[in-house]
Amino acid sequence: MVINNLALSISQIEEEYPDNPIEFFRGKRLCLFKACLEKYFPGVRFGIENLLEALDLEVSTCQNQSCCSGTFFQRNLITRAQFAALNERNLNEINNQADILLVSCNGCYNSLLRGRDFLKTPEVRKKTQEILDDLKQEMGGEKYEGQYEILENPDIRIMHDLDFIYLIRKAVLNTLKFDLKGLKVATHYGCHYLNLDRDRDTETYLKDKNKLEELIKLFGGQPVGYSERDSCCGWGASQVVLHPEDAFKITYKKLRSCENVGACFILMPCPTCLYTLSKPEFRDQITEIFDDKLDIATIHLNELIAILRGCEEDQCVNLRKKSSRIHWIYQTITESD
Amino acid sequence: MNQSSDEEWNFDFLDEISEDVEENKKIIQCIGCGKCVGGCPASKISDYNIRKIIEKVLKGDKSVLKDSDIWYCFLCERCKRVCPKEGINIPLLILNLRNESFKKGYGPRYNDLTKYVEMSERFLTNGSVLDEPLDGTLPEERIKEIDKICDFARIKYVFKASDKNNSKKKHIDS
Repeated sequence: MVINNLALSISQIEEEYPDNPIEFFRGKRLCLFKACLEKYFPGVRFGIENLLEALDLEVSTCQNQSCCSGTFFQRNLITRAQFAALNERNLNEINNQADILLVSCNGCYNSLLRGRDFLKTPEVRKKTQEILDDLKQEMGGEKYEGQYEILENPDIRIMHDLDFIYLIRKAVLNTLKFDLKGLKVATHYGCHYLNLDRDRDTETYLKDKNKLEELIKLFGGQPVGYSERDSCCGWGASQVVLHPEDAFKITYKKLRSCENVGACFILMPCPTCLYTLSKPEFRDQITEIFDDKLDIATIHLNELIAILRGCEEDQCVNLRKKSSRIHWIYQTITESD
Repeated sequence: MNQSSDEEWNFDFLDEISEDVEENKKIIQCIGCGKCVGGCPASKISDYNIRKIIEKVLKGDKSVLKDSDIWYCFLCERCKRVCPKEGINIPLLILNLRNESFKKGYGPRYNDLTKYVEMSERFLTNGSVLDEPLDGTLPEERIKEIDKICDFARIKYVFKASDKNNSKKKHIDS
């Protein structure tokens, strides 16, 4: 059985559609993977959904998709085979309704690829299929062909939102109403985007980890470098929950480093990093521990796209928790000169 | 790992943990260059030192399972990316050591897992780690699938401690 890497080959799209890569996606069914933390940041989902609709691309979400379960795997609460089985269940459902899966969260993205990777180990693959066989028996058969099977060479391909937006950046630019007005913007990529090693030898396109900087320039902003650019946000597979005082040292250093270079806000492609770097309670704790108040604003790439496209503020911002996180960015970008 | 004399190496423990996770065998290729330590976020805030952890494993020193250090790993995968040796998967080794630590009854820190009770409950009852997910919960029959896949996993034991599970039991008992 061949367990293939489901990451979309972006270089191939660029070769086939050098002038207008968005054409590759025309007529294809796109699905948005539902990241749990989008609950706190609904603008992350809204931003990409609204953009895809504006570009006349077909978009959906999968009702039967569960959480990626990475959190539980990383705390040893489920085994590799169980993690892989949960992942295959999700991929099966999504494969049934879509051609391309877009992912807004580094953690989910890593989980989706890692779950497949585990299946390359024969022992894990065997145990995973046993779990799925039990499931089939328990649930009384299949609703569609292969529902409880490990996917062999499926059609579905997975793509991170950042890679997607960067690939079709010219088309995105044409949909924008505002620009970044020369604002200084710091970038944070997040560990599970920066450290994925599947690009180590082959996928040179993915190897380039400067896409956010290039997008900032394209959108009329000024990317600023800072010493902690490649460091973790502090979440660290729940270290911020388990050892907050220690993990906040990482978060604090990052935020302080961004403020030191005069960045107006931090742009990132992951809601988990956004949660860690933004949560008001975390900021309060940091102020208390380090006796230093940090006010730098934070935003997910999808939220920024929504603001630049002229979407209403309440569609972009954190709807459930009152926060000034995006308000300043929104006001600055949308106010008339 | 070339600083030690031959008689210091004892691969019994490595063989033991490789029975469960075959990929761990590749750790024997470690040259002790320390690239994994530089830039490691856990090393910046704790005594966590992956080079020392690997050395202990290769010397058969099982005390590593009692070390609180192994629970400091951020699982950021930076070490895996910078390692000059092909196929050494340090995050997987750490997860495996944590598993062994659990099995032996050392470890965390079961107290720390109380923070996962609610998350486990939500995952097993609505398919998300958060309550009231953005798109609603999974249909009931699909929840059953999640629950079944997780049979015999630690997540089930953690879930047993949840209020929802306890109130469900009380309801059945009455």
